[in-house]
Amino acid sequence: MEDLRVDNIKRKQQIKLKVNGKEIKAYKGETVLASLIASGHKTLKTNPVSHEPRGALCGMGVCFECTMTINGIPNTRACVTKVQEGMIIETHDQE
Amino acid sequence: MIKNKSHYNIIIIGSGFAGITAAEILADTNLSLLLLDENIHFGGQLLRKIPEELGEYSSYKTDKIKKIGFSFLEKVENKKIDLMNQTVLLGVYENNEILIEYNREKTYTLKYDILLFATGSRERFLPFKGWTLPGVYSTGMLQVLIKSSGILPAKKMLMAGSGLFLFAAAYEYLNNGGKLMGIMEQSPFWNKIKFFPQIFHQYPKFLEGARYLSKIYFSKTPVKYQRHVIEARGNKTLEEVVVGKIDKNGELIEGTEKTYQTDTLVIGYGFVPNIEAPQVAGCQLEYSREKGGWIVKVNDLMETNRDNILAAGEITGIGGAQKSLNEGKIAAHTILDKLSLENKKPLVSSLKKLLKERKHHMSFVKCFNSLYRIKPKTILGIPDDTTVCRCENIDMQSLKKAVQMGCYNPNALKIMTRCTMGPCQGRICAPVIYDILQILCQKNPEDMGLFSVRPPLKPVSIKSLGNIQNIE
Repeated sequence: MEDLRVDNIKRKQQIKLKVNGKEIKAYKGETVLASLIASGHKTLKTNPVSHEPRGALCGMGVCFECTMTINGIPNTRACVTKVQEGMIIETHDQE
Repeated sequence: MIKNKSHYNIIIIGSGFAGITAAEILADTNLSLLLLDENIHFGGQLLRKIPEELGEYSSYKTDKIKKIGFSFLEKVENKKIDLMNQTVLLGVYENNEILIEYNREKTYTLKYDILLFATGSRERFLPFKGWTLPGVYSTGMLQVLIKSSGILPAKKMLMAGSGLFLFAAAYEYLNNGGKLMGIMEQSPFWNKIKFFPQIFHQYPKFLEGARYLSKIYFSKTPVKYQRHVIEARGNKTLEEVVVGKIDKNGELIEGTEKTYQTDTLVIGYGFVPNIEAPQVAGCQLEYSREKGGWIVKVNDLMETNRDNILAAGEITGIGGAQKSLNEGKIAAHTILDKLSLENKKPLVSSLKKLLKERKHHMSFVKCFNSLYRIKPKTILGIPDDTTVCRCENIDMQSLKKAVQMGCYNPNALKIMTRCTMGPCQGRICAPVIYDILQILCQKNPEDMGLFSVRPPLKPVSIKSLGNIQNIE
């Protein structure tokens, strides 16, 4: 997939995250949501009422459409959480 | 950052423009001051930049008002006031007490002498068929991705919505190498001309607007006015968007449908004030659609009806950074007065001048919010099977049926349908439901009242709530 990171930033430290068991690349300082979008993850959860696929909407902590399990804590908003080396992420669309 | 104080002279909720302006002034006194914010960074939604730990942004350009903001932020961060990020306000109680949650781990009760709400605004949405598909993002999310993480949601995409921010976000996207298939503006082109009477007092906004429009023009992005998103389609994620033309009353003109093949659509329909925290504190609110919807009622000195609680910025009317700067100053002025303190550093401008400035800002607020208001016919035209409340999956038909059955106010509608009862607590759908109710019931929103709000203001884990830290 094409690189969605803009090239006018000199990024400092590349790290790795595990998303649903698969490794993805991220940079220190990014939010979990940003790293997921950059690696092509659009669908982040299944709505518990309608079972439709959902992705982030507001990107700033309002809509709760990007909640997922991060390092074992469920219902964490990816948009207001920063990435850390070795973070383990389970999106809520895994049935 | 965890603090070990349980009482502050002043607690400011929100570190956006209004919050940091007041903090910057008040930090020069001997008062104890706490500034808290829900986000990772301080500065609110406008003052965002690439974090130092991420990297260096080689082509960082900023305008005058943001420069002022960033300089305030720097001063605030270097002063002896207490700052707490990733801190959510959960409740405001009698006896000048608030409950906050820090970093999803612990909760604290704190006491204040004076509380200043500067909770800002969030985006307004207009539901259309398929807006719940992954790949439909808000203009705010687009800006946050670019400005805080240096990431584009897609290399090529479509934008739709209403208001000046749509063009600001488009500018940012184009500047960072994105390609736009088009900008679909809901309002007519001649709306822009109606801003001209404001030019004298708002010229920085005009220069900004001109910069955006010229960038968009030279990028050869098609800009279409009076366009409405009819439907977003796709199997599991967005694949195509159907757009149609609307007449001056906001009604769809048949036969004007056009389909765009795209996996990313960015939408934005203006802003609504974040009134939930002042509401839970018992502050009086008023409904003024021309100021952005439900707003906090304040007097000239930014005081609410509750003793020792003030409000400043977007929550008193959607108007942008200049207005928040002005109101942050007035609020600081009032607080100094209330605590009978002379500021060590004289205020930049006198109260009289500040109040005069505020008049101009409020006139812009009214002009701006009225011009970009979504037409009632467009709202009534939301198809029956369109999801309005995303969390609880309540569609337009369910809302209409409930109204027919006699739910003539927000809370009756909520009890009947479960709308606004999901994790976002109505922050996305409540503003449009107020509009829907007003149109269907033909009643004044102030007579119908607000959706009720109770603590905790945002979802909190039992673990965190059970972990109340008592600081002696």
